[in-house]
Amino acid sequence: MTENSLDKEQQIVNHLVGTFQNLTGKVKRNRRIEVSIEKKQITSVLNYVKDHLGFIHFSHMSCVDWLEDGYFELVYILWSPEQKIQLLVKALVDRENASVENADMIWRQLNTYQREIREMFGVNFIGMKGDKEFILEDWDNMPPMRRDFNTVDYIQEVYFERPGREDAQNVRETISKRTGEEIPEVATKYSRD
Amino acid sequence: MREKATTLYLGPQHPGITGNMMIKLKVEGDTVVKAQTHVGYLHRGFEKLMERRNWLQSFTIVCRICVPEPDPNELNYSRAVEEIEGREVPERAEWIRTLMMELSRLASYLLWFGGQNGSAGLYTMPQWSVGDRDYILDLFEELTGGRVYHMYIWPGGVRRDLPNGFTDRVLQTMDYLEKRLKQYDQLMFENTIFQRRAQGIGWIDPAKAVEWGVVGPPLRAAGFKSDVRIDDPYLIYDQLDFEVPTQQGSDVWARALVRRTEFQQSINMVRQIIDKMPGGPVYNKIPNPMKWTIPAGDAYVKAESARGEFGYYVVSDGSNKPRRVHVKGPAYVHGVTLLENILEGANISDVSFIMNSLGTCPPEIER
Amino acid sequence: MAFFDIKGLVTPFTALKQFGKAPHTVTFPYHKKETAQRYRGLHFNDLEVCIGCGNCSTICMNEAIDMVNLEQIEGKAGDSGLRPRVDNGRCCWCALCVEVCPTGSLNLTKDYIYVTPDADSFLWTPGVSNPEGKDNISFHSDVDTSLSMFDRVPMPELDGKERVKSFAETMLYYTEEAAREEASRCISCSLCTEVCPDHMHIPEYINAIAKGEDDDAIRIIYDNNPLGEMCGKVCTRRCEDVCALQVRGDAVAIRWLKEYAVGRAETAEMLKEIVNPDIQEPNGKKVGIVGAGPSGLTTAYYLALKGFDVTIYEANEYAGGMVMYGIPKYRLPMDSLNKQIDYMKSIGVKIKFNTKVGKDITFDEIYKEHDAVFVGIGFQKPYSIGIKGEDAQGAFPAVNLLFDVNSGKTPDMGNKVVVIGGGNVAIDGARVSRRLGAEVVIMYRRRVQDMPADWEEIEGAEHEGVEIMPQTIPVEIITDDNNKVKAIKYLKAEMVADDKGGRPRPVPIEGSETIMEVSSVIGAIGQEADYSFLPEEYRNSIEINRGRMVVNEQMQTANPKIFAGGDAVNRTADAISAIADGYRAVKAIEKFLMN
Repeated sequence: MTENSLDKEQQIVNHLVGTFQNLTGKVKRNRRIEVSIEKKQITSVLNYVKDHLGFIHFSHMSCVDWLEDGYFELVYILWSPEQKIQLLVKALVDRENASVENADMIWRQLNTYQREIREMFGVNFIGMKGDKEFILEDWDNMPPMRRDFNTVDYIQEVYFERPGREDAQNVRETISKRTGEEIPEVATKYSRD
Repeated sequence: MREKATTLYLGPQHPGITGNMMIKLKVEGDTVVKAQTHVGYLHRGFEKLMERRNWLQSFTIVCRICVPEPDPNELNYSRAVEEIEGREVPERAEWIRTLMMELSRLASYLLWFGGQNGSAGLYTMPQWSVGDRDYILDLFEELTGGRVYHMYIWPGGVRRDLPNGFTDRVLQTMDYLEKRLKQYDQLMFENTIFQRRAQGIGWIDPAKAVEWGVVGPPLRAAGFKSDVRIDDPYLIYDQLDFEVPTQQGSDVWARALVRRTEFQQSINMVRQIIDKMPGGPVYNKIPNPMKWTIPAGDAYVKAESARGEFGYYVVSDGSNKPRRVHVKGPAYVHGVTLLENILEGANISDVSFIMNSLGTCPPEIER
Repeated sequence: MAFFDIKGLVTPFTALKQFGKAPHTVTFPYHKKETAQRYRGLHFNDLEVCIGCGNCSTICMNEAIDMVNLEQIEGKAGDSGLRPRVDNGRCCWCALCVEVCPTGSLNLTKDYIYVTPDADSFLWTPGVSNPEGKDNISFHSDVDTSLSMFDRVPMPELDGKERVKSFAETMLYYTEEAAREEASRCISCSLCTEVCPDHMHIPEYINAIAKGEDDDAIRIIYDNNPLGEMCGKVCTRRCEDVCALQVRGDAVAIRWLKEYAVGRAETAEMLKEIVNPDIQEPNGKKVGIVGAGPSGLTTAYYLALKGFDVTIYEANEYAGGMVMYGIPKYRLPMDSLNKQIDYMKSIGVKIKFNTKVGKDITFDEIYKEHDAVFVGIGFQKPYSIGIKGEDAQGAFPAVNLLFDVNSGKTPDMGNKVVVIGGGNVAIDGARVSRRLGAEVVIMYRRRVQDMPADWEEIEGAEHEGVEIMPQTIPVEIITDDNNKVKAIKYLKAEMVADDKGGRPRPVPIEGSETIMEVSSVIGAIGQEADYSFLPEEYRNSIEINRGRMVVNEQMQTANPKIFAGGDAVNRTADAISAIADGYRAVKAIEKFLMN
């Protein structure tokens, strides 16, 4: 693809970079743009691109837990039916007491997404209305989509194993037992899991 | 005199939809004053499960998100992985994928024919269309080895090439369905009862449709020429000859007409695909699945399912397992905010009917 | 539209026409519909083909597959003895287990009906529970569709014509990218570790390479093999014979990957920094080792790490034993070997070079000075070919040729050399002779496929222009007046099936006698140990049976203070077995001296 064909995309990125401070953006490929903003800019950027740049269709909103780095990444995916361009707006939120401004007055369906993210990740949307419970019922554990919620531990705590499969063998163990091989610690982490 | 308001719980089991979902209706007489969607009966935690499964293992889960139409899930997952990894897909595989998508659209519409009529109390159509859907499932079985969950489109292409003589059987089935469509017309579209039930019901304001997140046939029935296959072409749709049908009514009847036209169109597209399909390999083999890592990155891909834009947001952190797979089904919007809105003022007996016309599918609301 | 739209009310009744038609779904009389050719039904496993690698169990995302012991299956080399058992209550018929099965033994069948009131019986073993499934296979994966990666990443090597010009290394070895790709083929089943005499932690170091953790790979290799790079270049690699991928494709290049990993450490210092071993405080015990071959070096290295005072007595100028003097430099360059040995010296191994036991120092002295002695003398004395004219000038054993060449000499081979034998030493002798400028013919009694030499070595020899004459039995070396080799007389043989069920024997064909003019004859039909250094009293205190020292499982001879290992002890007589012996002896010596 030639550079010219990305003009439209690049113009939008340049426009946004010029309009908002601390906004970084790039063209991922044709029809795909991505911008990163600060969390306090979320409503203003969303409002702006909706009202002025034609991104009127709200496709999707997602939340990614970057546990190791200590933040959630909120991703708003928008589509411009006019220009046929997809825009990803990304904002980082601290994992500790995560909270951002409510944005469901911009697109009402955002309310559903925000309710789910509040429930599954524990992100608080300041000023949002809507039932606390969306999918879960009487849940008093950690928000389950957080990376540190361990499903295996939870299952072992809540359910019991059906008996009858205890005789399962591990191939690696079977062979090392047969040969007397002692696997050192530096190696075990590379064994088949 | 105003009737006293009561609360009515519709569901979680009811004829409006495939799957379980409850609607809390505040009714006065038999008019709905306020509707509130309540989900939570189907949450299986697929997105969470995928955190513990490697890239290949995850591919077998995604189809289970939607029973009536599992293939867009497989396609989107695979396309997202391919986009992040930069994996090429052989041309023939793209054609076969398109064939799968259109067959799956036909199967899904047949189920919808049944559901839409069933929820209006017309019970011959469900018998016919669900029975006819099985002929498509037979094709799926022959091609993929499974009738409902195909697990056929995977990152890098498709699992197997077409069996011998498969295309002939597809064409036979298309001819049969085309013939049947005329009988469907007699039973459904030319039926006064259906017409009277459908016209003017479940109206969506075209001025608000895009903003409200309406997609697929309901959006086209509101007069918008909107279709992912045209707007953001994927697979080989840009090489096929087809039109995006629109209606102006924006009611159940208009949506039915849009689907009716698309049904015929999909039959035509299947014929075109079989006619033009090139030869060659169908699979760009992935490395050893246990050690297969995808470079860090993310992608949102979407496909036009029978119910509208179906999206997947996939994030990789560079490891052998996905960091995040987030599924967006059209029903996430149709079944909650949109439904709650357009049910206001509807008659109780029309609730299921309207839900069906939006293609509400609870499994994709909660995954 | 009028309120009563007659047409719209009547048309639906056309459906009544359907009454007279046959039903679409159920036939009468009832006929069971056959499922499609690719139907994903219940599993079937061919128990004979299955090797119990457990890849199916690993890929199963529902944890529906267990590996279990079956009564009728015994584990053996290349077979864990385990077989998959499927919990049909959990299976989702995605058939990924079929796609990753390296042998193709696991398939899905057309059967899908399994009704039982007993939930426990949903657990069943494919192949045992449904032997009839064999004739009903539907979804399967052949070599083309399988997800197993059957093709090895090709190893770059010098062109044959280029190779014969010098003793430069013929293999160019994997680049980082190639190594990662090759390592990622491994399915980590660990069948290989069983046949490795040293039981190296193969799946683990390969996985470390695949993940880009070369340093960890080196550490894992050094856990029980201090000559990893040497093995990476010249190991007999029996591990690759049982690789799960080898059943339907190419084995993982375990040897080359090991070479790649250790080769990342280019100097002895780097090696020390990466391995960073935990060297224990001196414990005051002294161990003497006879011979700086692989077994002696291994013993010395691990004993030194454990705080023992270790001294090796080596007759030659360099350490390495047969690895140094018996393997041509185009396979194992001097630098590589020295790097590994320098590293050992840097952690406290002492080597006394040019000290031949029995000549420069007596065995008695060593025995008395140390708390334990390890004997790793190897096989150095070649067998004679046993034909007339063997003592002629120009007729000599291959090991002598290799020793001379590796010591830096360039013997005159004349223009045509015949090598007698089919093992690795014969091939080495032949390829070295090619590099010395001669035309080379290998004479071997049996067929090419019977040759005990490594197939890659045979191929390498052929590429370099070595001619192999199979089914050829030399009978006499013809000499000229000066007792110099002039020609060789040989018979052609035919293979006759052995009555006792052994491998076919070569039987000479009468009248096939031929004479070929040659300038040198090299014998390479095996070697034996030389015990002349061992005084009578010691020789009696340990047991020697058919040329081999007899040891118990701890490598201890009848004389509890003397341990032994290497070619002079084991039957396989290769470097990795010697290393394994040395590693076992370390544990035994430690137990012997520290308890």
